[in-house]
Amino acid sequence: MATRVLIVDDHPSFRRLATRLLQEAGFAVVGEAADAAGAIGEAERLRPDVVLLDVVLPDGSGVEVARELAHTDEAPRVILISSRGRSDFGDSFAWPPGCTFLPKHELTPARLRAVLQRP
Amino acid sequence: MRASAMLLAALTLFLWAADVARQLQLGVADSGLAFYAVAGVAGVVVAVAVARQARGDRLALLIALWLLLSVLDDLAVDWPESRSATTVWMPAHGLVPSAYALMVLGYPSGRLRGRGDRLLIALAAVVGLVWMGAPLLFFRPTGCATCAPRVASWLYTGTTFDYLPVGQVSWAAFIVLGIAFVGLLVRRLRAAPPGARVTLLPLGLAVFFTAAEFVAQRVVWLGGWRSPGGVLDWIDRANALVLPLAILLGLAAIRRRRGPLGDFVVELSRARPGNAQPALARAVGDPTLELALWIPERGEYVDEAGMPIDVSAIPEGRALTAIGPPGEPLAALIHDERLLGQRSLLEAAGSAARLALENARLQAELRAQLTELRSSRTRIVEAADAERRRLERDLHDGAQQRLLALGLALQLMRESDVDSELLRQAEIELQTALRELRDLARGIHPTILSERGIGPAMRSLADRAAIPVTVEAGDERFPPAIETAAYFVVAEALANIAKHAEASAAAVTFARRNGRVLLEISDNGCGGAVARSGGGLRGLEDRVAAAGGSLRIHSEPGAGTVLRVELPCG
Repeated sequence: MATRVLIVDDHPSFRRLATRLLQEAGFAVVGEAADAAGAIGEAERLRPDVVLLDVVLPDGSGVEVARELAHTDEAPRVILISSRGRSDFGDSFAWPPGCTFLPKHELTPARLRAVLQRP
Repeated sequence: MRASAMLLAALTLFLWAADVARQLQLGVADSGLAFYAVAGVAGVVVAVAVARQARGDRLALLIALWLLLSVLDDLAVDWPESRSATTVWMPAHGLVPSAYALMVLGYPSGRLRGRGDRLLIALAAVVGLVWMGAPLLFFRPTGCATCAPRVASWLYTGTTFDYLPVGQVSWAAFIVLGIAFVGLLVRRLRAAPPGARVTLLPLGLAVFFTAAEFVAQRVVWLGGWRSPGGVLDWIDRANALVLPLAILLGLAAIRRRRGPLGDFVVELSRARPGNAQPALARAVGDPTLELALWIPERGEYVDEAGMPIDVSAIPEGRALTAIGPPGEPLAALIHDERLLGQRSLLEAAGSAARLALENARLQAELRAQLTELRSSRTRIVEAADAERRRLERDLHDGAQQRLLALGLALQLMRESDVDSELLRQAEIELQTALRELRDLARGIHPTILSERGIGPAMRSLADRAAIPVTVEAGDERFPPAIETAAYFVVAEALANIAKHAEASAAAVTFARRNGRVLLEISDNGCGGAVARSGGGLRGLEDRVAAAGGSLRIHSEPGAGTVLRVELPCG
């Protein structure tokens, strides 16, 4: 059964292309959201396996959304994505537990699959 | 200082009165005693008068000290049976010459000027104390040549005893010191410019008078003669009067040369802002005088406290004298009408006041401009920083997002059947463009600084540096202007170290201390860094100054470089 993915990003062109790319690679992109409120609503409604979550959202921080999602039953695996690099957040950045950070320019289906295979 | 001078003068007056009363009690009631009484009172009056003059308190203290020692010296003569009078008399008698020299050489400021003066007075004091102190401890009663010297002067009464050899030696020393003293005075008189010589002359004459009287007394005494009509005794009594009088004459000459307004100008220059009116009133001699300052912006006169003064309603008997060029008054004096006859005095006082007032006003204006300049510089830098933050966000939200989307599109194209070599080329170009854009955005304004603060931002700078850099800083947040200034200082300093310092390690510390932020960047490189105009260090200085801080560079050649920055905590 294909991995069910929710994509949260405020740029429509990124959402559209990422959806196509992942679907062609065999992921099931079940939904999209453009902001923090939409992300939480869609995650609750769709119960995805994976949430691709932009760190900076127009109405809040992706990190906060990730914390909230971690408290739900059957919490999805959260991959935080950003156009900024890892070093822009610093080594000691408090990433929510269970999350993985993936810079957008490193986002490929193969990379995503590799990340998901790690616990 | 003034209070102690007054206290000494009061004590002197009291002892002097006691001495006069004692002499009256002993049945002495001649013209000599009357003269002695008058001279004593006059001396004290002069000391008080000097103390009341501007900056005269130090000299007054010296005069009062000399008068006190002199009266203590006289007391023992009239209480020969009092042991305490004698015991006090001995050191007092020994110290009178040094007190005299101290007063004369200290004139007119009350301060000694050279090493020669200090040496002479110290020697005179030592000789005086040895001279009178030795018999205080070891003395031989009069008329008993064979008696052994005894330690017990407080059992001794009277002022006559056989001098031990120390007495003769002291006398010889005093004669040498006396000649040196006169020499110092003559040299001072000759070295003084003609204007100052007039003010020194009365004192010089008084000293020569005293010296001549002293020599004459000794000659008459050694010859076993008596001066005709006891004239030398009279002169001796007059001594207490001559010297203070000479000092007063000298100070009067100083005042005369300074002019009637001199004191006012001196006083005005030392008065706190807003205190010109009392000084002016004293200078003009009209305690009812009011000072009105013209405020061009308001078109009205105000007093020194800023309350408006209505100059159109000047009461009967009062008059107004405007100060300043016609049509542009700077101030006005409202004074007793009868002072109008002394127009030149009013104008002179007004001009002096004008100098001071104009000065005060220019200073206030300058301070206001400086404050405005500082805050506008801070605003400019803050605006530039805000602009950089906006630019960085725009880069992320705009061009970078488009390129990222383009990257995804290229990945999709690879899935279908497009020339994969060309595609790989395009992807490499794209990744390079993205990296360059990220670096550019980071240089414009680092995300980590606004998101996480100065501590993590500095650690991220250190991680990217070519040499090992240790960072000591917490995660505490500071106002954006402070964080930005500190960040760019560290970034520029680390870049300079990489470029010029030839260092193998560097250290950054950032700490809050006494309400300020202290930032220090040090390296173990070759040193010799200077802030050149247009250089990076000068730019940092400007940035730090705009944030209200200061930057100092310690960079001895061969000893590394330390950059110390102090910033306000906000």
